[in-house]
Amino acid sequence: MPSWPANPKYIGQSTTRVDAAAKVTGRAHYSSDIQADGWLYGMILRSKWPAAKILSVNLDKALQVPGIKAAVTARNGEFTVRFYGEEIAAVAGTTKQACLDALRAIEVKAEPSPEFVVNENEALKDNAPKVWEGRPNATPGRSREQGNVDKAFSECAAVIEGFYTTPVQLHHPMETHGSTASWTDDGLTAWTSTQGISSVRDGLTGALKLDHSQVRVITDFMGGGFGSKFGAGAEGVLAARLSHEAKVPVRLMLTRFDEALAVGNRPSSFQKIKIGALADGTLHAFEMNNYGTAGIGAGADSGGGGGGADIPAPYIYKVPNTRVKQTHVAVNAGSARAFRAPGHPPASYGMESAMDDLAAKLGMDPLEFRLKNDSNEVRQREYAIGAEKFGWKAKYRKPGSSPGVVKTGVGCAGAAWGAGGGSNSTQGESQINPDGSVEFRLGVQDIGTGTKTVIAVVAAELLGLKPEQITVKVGDTNFPPGPGSGGSTTCASVSPTVYDICTKALQQLQTQSGVADARGDNWFAACKKLGVTPLVVHGNWLEGLSSRPAYGVQFAEVVVDTETGLVTVKKMVAVHDCGLLIDKLTLESQVNGGIIMGMGYALYEERVMDNLSGVVLNPNFETYKLPGLADVPEIEVVLLNMPERGVIGIGEPATVPTAAAIANAVANAIGVRVGSLPITPAKVLAALGKVPPPTASPA
Amino acid sequence: MKAFEYATALSTDSARQLVTDQGMYLAGGNDLLGLLKEYLVSSPNIVVNIKSLPGLNKIESGEKFWTIGALVTVAQIEDNAEIKKVFPGLHDAASEVGSQQIRNVATVGGNLSQHSRCWYFRQRDTVCLKKNGDLCYARDGENRYHSLFTGNTCISPVVSNLATVFTALDAAAIVLRDGKETRVSMAELYQKAWDNPLAHNSLNLGDLILRVEIPTTRTSSAYLQASDKHAFDWALVSCAAAADFAGGKLSQPRVALGCISPVPHQVQAANDFLDGKTLDDATVSQAADLILKDAQPHQHNGYKVPLAHALICRTLLKLKG
Amino acid sequence: MKSPEPENFGAHSRRTFLKTLGTAAVTAAAARAQSVAAELEMANAEKTVGPGAVPVTLKVNGETLKLMLEPRVTLLDALRNYSSLTGAKEGCDRAACGACTVLLDDLPIYSCQKLAIEAQGREITTVEGLAKNGKLTGVQQAFWDKDALQCGYCTPGFIMSVTALLKKNPHPTAEEVKHACAGNLCRCGTHPHIMRAVFQAAGVAASGLTKTEVMDYA
Repeated sequence: MPSWPANPKYIGQSTTRVDAAAKVTGRAHYSSDIQADGWLYGMILRSKWPAAKILSVNLDKALQVPGIKAAVTARNGEFTVRFYGEEIAAVAGTTKQACLDALRAIEVKAEPSPEFVVNENEALKDNAPKVWEGRPNATPGRSREQGNVDKAFSECAAVIEGFYTTPVQLHHPMETHGSTASWTDDGLTAWTSTQGISSVRDGLTGALKLDHSQVRVITDFMGGGFGSKFGAGAEGVLAARLSHEAKVPVRLMLTRFDEALAVGNRPSSFQKIKIGALADGTLHAFEMNNYGTAGIGAGADSGGGGGGADIPAPYIYKVPNTRVKQTHVAVNAGSARAFRAPGHPPASYGMESAMDDLAAKLGMDPLEFRLKNDSNEVRQREYAIGAEKFGWKAKYRKPGSSPGVVKTGVGCAGAAWGAGGGSNSTQGESQINPDGSVEFRLGVQDIGTGTKTVIAVVAAELLGLKPEQITVKVGDTNFPPGPGSGGSTTCASVSPTVYDICTKALQQLQTQSGVADARGDNWFAACKKLGVTPLVVHGNWLEGLSSRPAYGVQFAEVVVDTETGLVTVKKMVAVHDCGLLIDKLTLESQVNGGIIMGMGYALYEERVMDNLSGVVLNPNFETYKLPGLADVPEIEVVLLNMPERGVIGIGEPATVPTAAAIANAVANAIGVRVGSLPITPAKVLAALGKVPPPTASPA
Repeated sequence: MKAFEYATALSTDSARQLVTDQGMYLAGGNDLLGLLKEYLVSSPNIVVNIKSLPGLNKIESGEKFWTIGALVTVAQIEDNAEIKKVFPGLHDAASEVGSQQIRNVATVGGNLSQHSRCWYFRQRDTVCLKKNGDLCYARDGENRYHSLFTGNTCISPVVSNLATVFTALDAAAIVLRDGKETRVSMAELYQKAWDNPLAHNSLNLGDLILRVEIPTTRTSSAYLQASDKHAFDWALVSCAAAADFAGGKLSQPRVALGCISPVPHQVQAANDFLDGKTLDDATVSQAADLILKDAQPHQHNGYKVPLAHALICRTLLKLKG
Repeated sequence: MKSPEPENFGAHSRRTFLKTLGTAAVTAAAARAQSVAAELEMANAEKTVGPGAVPVTLKVNGETLKLMLEPRVTLLDALRNYSSLTGAKEGCDRAACGACTVLLDDLPIYSCQKLAIEAQGREITTVEGLAKNGKLTGVQQAFWDKDALQCGYCTPGFIMSVTALLKKNPHPTAEEVKHACAGNLCRCGTHPHIMRAVFQAAGVAASGLTKTEVMDYA
């Protein structure tokens, strides 16, 4: 049975990233930086209508614009577009300017339809326009029951009802989607900004009718994905088609505008929750009706799935009597895609808000209420540690009892992430050269999480070398395949694989060299014995070195200015477990990142659609607001090392409970619940009853 | 952007000649390039660089008034230690404009003359009233960032931080119009936007802001704004106050609000009320009531009323120093 | 997308121009980069150029780039697509994210919102121009040491903003750092580590934005 070394030298310590030098000098080349010989700039024309029949697309004038070398339509013949921003055509030219001019020269004959709807509540109405002909906008939905919920409510000492809503959230990775596509006689190479080189290859081969062996996908550096970059995407196929037509490479990267329209999002949620407890504070009954939108349809071009609007309920809590009903409602907007812990942040927000509201009704400290009802041993421990670091006992006050205009409040929430563990199909190889240099090659992706560094740390540990002596190459379908980088599985996928490679490599090296133990000080002598031929060793993922799930709890302290409504997060304390810690530095970055993303969800982020025109009103960073340096609070992180559990992932659990904790802290501060994310000053002032009704005349 | 010709003007005469009636002046470029990238203005056939026009980039102190050239950057205002002492409200307003990168190129003239930030105006595919369409989409639509006061159907507010504080300081812009220098108060500078939905301000084709003159009458000034985020975010409401403080009583007070009207919002009755008063909670609250008395909130921007009220009180109290 | 060397462009080169100005003017002009830019503008002023491509000379990281660009080409576009300087990134092309931040003389600006034709005569510095002879600057090293980067896409922009800040204000407070970097966005959430990196580069102990502790569960 394989096992991790007992007293590791590098595993569990802080190791700086192996690709930091490239990133801080600008030498790191992302898909958007590739400058293949003779490359052309590519650009997409998108629908300005939320619903329309496209009768014809005439590219003649576009092809006449100087510098344009290729133009294609997104689909053949007549087709229907169902959301603002759906792809219509694409061009490739020698300059960005030529492409901009060419897009404006494309003649589109369209029959825009007035029958569209972009708002969930409007879409649910009986006479709402249909997003898909002949189909109701709302799915019949799923319903499940346990126990006898109606009877159970009558037995409760305290019952609350709440309505908690979350918006559509956009991934907005800093590097947009896209690729540089290039053809040779052997086929297509696509330098793609992706989390899944294999699924991209699969998508490209399908769309272009090629064999897998004819498509190579490369992602050396990529600028973030958060779940939206698994498939080839319309843009990946268009880049390849343009390149094929132009007979030179085409770099087609989306604009920030495109990112807000067409490459995925986190579905919204509208959660009507009724929850009750017995006199001693035990949860007894739970009922939820939830709906949300995944755009024109979950799964429709969601490139990797996981775009559904369903959320786990009652999340991490066990309630003996439950009834949960959920539906999706379609609207004329871009399809949802998996977004960092799909379903969990909205689930956590709704459930944990309800928990705090019920605790308030019971007159109980919400932390005590959780400890009473959350039997999970790991979280119990994490709450205890976190409460002490946070100073919960000293800081907690009954809701709204903070004095003065500027009120302080505290809140907490818990998480669980079951999809961790590693992918058992992960493979990799290592090349050990006679001069002692060693290179690892794995077909996984480093999406900013530090995968390359994890590989180097594990390899260094097991080979007795230093991490900087390990060359790591990832992100090439020519390498042994790995899983897509998602689900918080990557670390748990590559670590056991590297373990296997190292075990086999040492065995073979020792056999070939006659050196009994080739690690550490003996390494170079052993390698020298290889003569002129490097040793290439293949390895697979091994059972027993990783596991799942991961948990985590977070505490938030906020300050709310009750005259301006501004919410400031003062401090977050996060206690997380992820089994065996590999690299403390990159782990901390993941937790910070998850918290900051969760804070954005809590306070700033929301895709805004206009009901009348069907457009996205904030397709930019000006009005789709991301947390900045001045918004980020003091963050204290406690990582629970549980080496006996092996390697687990952290990326997603770290973002699950943040918005819930912050929302609870706001409610604790002002004594009233803002039941809708993002918690803007406008909503705080409204919750405080300070907002006058509208008196202005309509248009 | 559409293609355009480009020229650098060395005199205001040649600038006017070069820009013709189809061109646009280019100073910092934050607003113009943003408009061009979204094809929001009938794209100019020529862009005329005015950054080389002589004499427009100085900050000059004076006993009766200070002069700030239209080409002075917002960063230069923020970094000017004297301005921070003499006009602290102006310093604070400048420091909140955009980000460091924006302030380094943004000019005073550009900041004052910037076009609407209404997201229907800025959206490339909604042809709203301000773009010669038929409808103000915001009125029945998403109007959380829009005006509480308006003189016409368009409810896009003025959002220039500097306009708010210049109004409180009773500063005037000196505008070159048809070859003649014209003195334009802040109220006059935006009056046309109050009257005409197509207008962002009162500047005519070819007009050029040359400088802003700030009287030194008011020895105290303060500026505050409220936003969703803590930095690099347009103000939801901005507020500036300025007054002379002789013996602890306000003299010649002026209070102005931004982001709630197409013009910097000022109510003379409130200024009159404040004149001669000492600053205390009750007084400032009453003044705020007067300033916001006729506010007409829309479906989603009613929060601006209590928000503005709070800002007015705090900004006035901040005058105490 | 390489731009061909324009013919007879030597007449407009800075060296020739300064030669014709004479020694005194050279000293005066050399003393302030901005006035050289102004002088250059004077030489070309009032001449309408474009809309087609025209010669544009950019001084980037001490090297001269001679390009043929339409007036509407931004500095970011010129760097990334008309030369090989892909360090500055396109995150939004709308002056809202900071990934394109470069230094114009010592001022951080959004290169996406600056016409390349207007960056002539100025000293442009990109992330590629920071390290000299392979030696990283203190800021670059600090970003590395403190893990102030994850996917790395926002990193060049942040490094330029921080480099400019520390040149202007070698010992900033936390508030001053937040103010200087407000115009740079990061989606991965490196902010706490960026704060640590800035304080390391400034040579002061970090006033902890984050603290991480490892505890054994057992």
